[in-house]
Amino acid sequence: MTDPHGRDEATPVSAGSGLKMMSRATYLKEALLKNVFLLCAVMAVAGVALIFLFVGYRGWPVIQNPGLGAFLFGAEWSATYGKFGIAPLVTGTLVVTIGALLLGAPLAIGTAVFLSEIATPGIRRIVRPAVEMLAGVPSVVFGFFGLVIIRPIAAEMTGGMGFGALSASVILAVMIVPTIATLTEDALRSVVPGIREASYAMGATTWQTIYKVLLPAAKIGIIDAIILGMGRAIGETMAVVMVAGNAPQFFKGLGAPIATVTSQIVIDMSYASGDHRTALFGLAIILFMISMGLVALVRALSRLNAKRS
Amino acid sequence: MVALLLLATPLTGCFGTGMPREEVIVSGSTTLLPIAEVAGEMFAEEHPGVSILVSGMGSSAGIESVTNGSSDIGTSSRELKESEKETGLDDTPVAYDAIAVIVHPDNPVTGLSTMDVRAIFSGVITNWSQLGGPDMEIGLVNRDEASGTREAFAKIIMDDARFDIGAVILPGTGQVRAVVSEVPGAIGYISLGFVTDEVRAVAIDGVEPSEEAVISGTYPVQRVLHFFTRGEVGQSAAEYIEYVLSPAVQETIVRDAGFIPITAKEALGD
Repeated sequence: MTDPHGRDEATPVSAGSGLKMMSRATYLKEALLKNVFLLCAVMAVAGVALIFLFVGYRGWPVIQNPGLGAFLFGAEWSATYGKFGIAPLVTGTLVVTIGALLLGAPLAIGTAVFLSEIATPGIRRIVRPAVEMLAGVPSVVFGFFGLVIIRPIAAEMTGGMGFGALSASVILAVMIVPTIATLTEDALRSVVPGIREASYAMGATTWQTIYKVLLPAAKIGIIDAIILGMGRAIGETMAVVMVAGNAPQFFKGLGAPIATVTSQIVIDMSYASGDHRTALFGLAIILFMISMGLVALVRALSRLNAKRS
Repeated sequence: MVALLLLATPLTGCFGTGMPREEVIVSGSTTLLPIAEVAGEMFAEEHPGVSILVSGMGSSAGIESVTNGSSDIGTSSRELKESEKETGLDDTPVAYDAIAVIVHPDNPVTGLSTMDVRAIFSGVITNWSQLGGPDMEIGLVNRDEASGTREAFAKIIMDDARFDIGAVILPGTGQVRAVVSEVPGAIGYISLGFVTDEVRAVAIDGVEPSEEAVISGTYPVQRVLHFFTRGEVGQSAAEYIEYVLSPAVQETIVRDAGFIPITAKEALGD
């Protein structure tokens, strides 16, 4: 991160700046601290690298058995019959994620607009912590809530048992609201105040200002927020296992049971061995690649944003 | 386990009772794992100096390992095959594993044949009206593949038929029971020992599931769980088997795991 204000050039006090007016003890302490922090950073990087290497090492044999094509495009996942095609699981993940975004993103963006543009400070003091608290609710609690409250409602609506894409999407939608809302609010707040004031000065109403000026100005930040929310939806496991029905079949309707990549891993991992276990690590590689893709997308977008402003 | 052994070794060394630590190796069926393991821990507590090492690798592996002498006791959730009978293993039945097919209490269908159940779970029959019930879609509830109950159900009922892939998969007996109790059209299966009033267990081939029907052998969806041993059994292993057959284990651990005690047979005066 470069200094946003372009000052501080004249007072070199940071590490490695060449300042030598210190005692030996201070120097040692400084050096020690520098290395401690370096170690922390290295550990984080090493953690990611080790997990990636381990998952890759355990998962790469899927290329030979069942073979990359059969693994990626196979239509059947059945451990009993030795079939490890992940296409139904990947489409399952896709369906519930899109469902969650369709339901959750408008809700979250609406919340963010309300918090940043409409709410009085008093209301904001209540609503914002409530939204933030939503992020702290354990996913198993969301899952339980879904099982007991959402599933029967979904069963009424779809005529099935309520396990399936609809219940999973609704629960995931609620779960991604805090992620998207918080980041969208940040994006709206970081819109230069002059733009907002200019809009009002031109006689625009609040709605016109939000719709025509603020949302377009914060567009990239909002897309960022949605992508991160998407990451959360793709990775969520526990809540999905509890309401999705976990049937590794292709999407057959909102009320039909469905399995996702993560739910299948958690259902199978307790007893998988041999090729089955390898296939689960293969699924983990797919998840890894999806999340790396999302992070890359977010970084590319923020670079674009930086270039624009 | 390993940590316990590591701790225990120096202790026996220091206080030298001179008694070598004896190990009883029990391996085989994952269905029997909860019984063998918990009973093993309790047995070891009462018999210092003996440790019961339990592992679940599947019934066939258990029978194989007791046959070739690498285990003292091989546990199995199936009978011996013809080829295995020649090896002269001794059979000690330890529990009954009976599975109840459960439906919503309001479902008017009270009995099904084995073939009906197979057709339902393989997705051939999809509406209760095909079975003389109301026009209501059947909600299939299945267990995950790690489940011993699913394995037993597949062996006894499904034969070569495949489970319908569209069934809801739930990872626990309690969840299956809860969902079946709430959804009018649902059908599932759980160990007989876990059936409560929330759901109704249907009669299979005309036989109501009950402990008596299981013990007399008339209820079809059941199997016997075995301990197999070979020839002369070590003293600790023999004591352990005796312990598993004692009321202390049969009425608590075996029942808690949803099985029916093998000793219930004697209680019935058979």
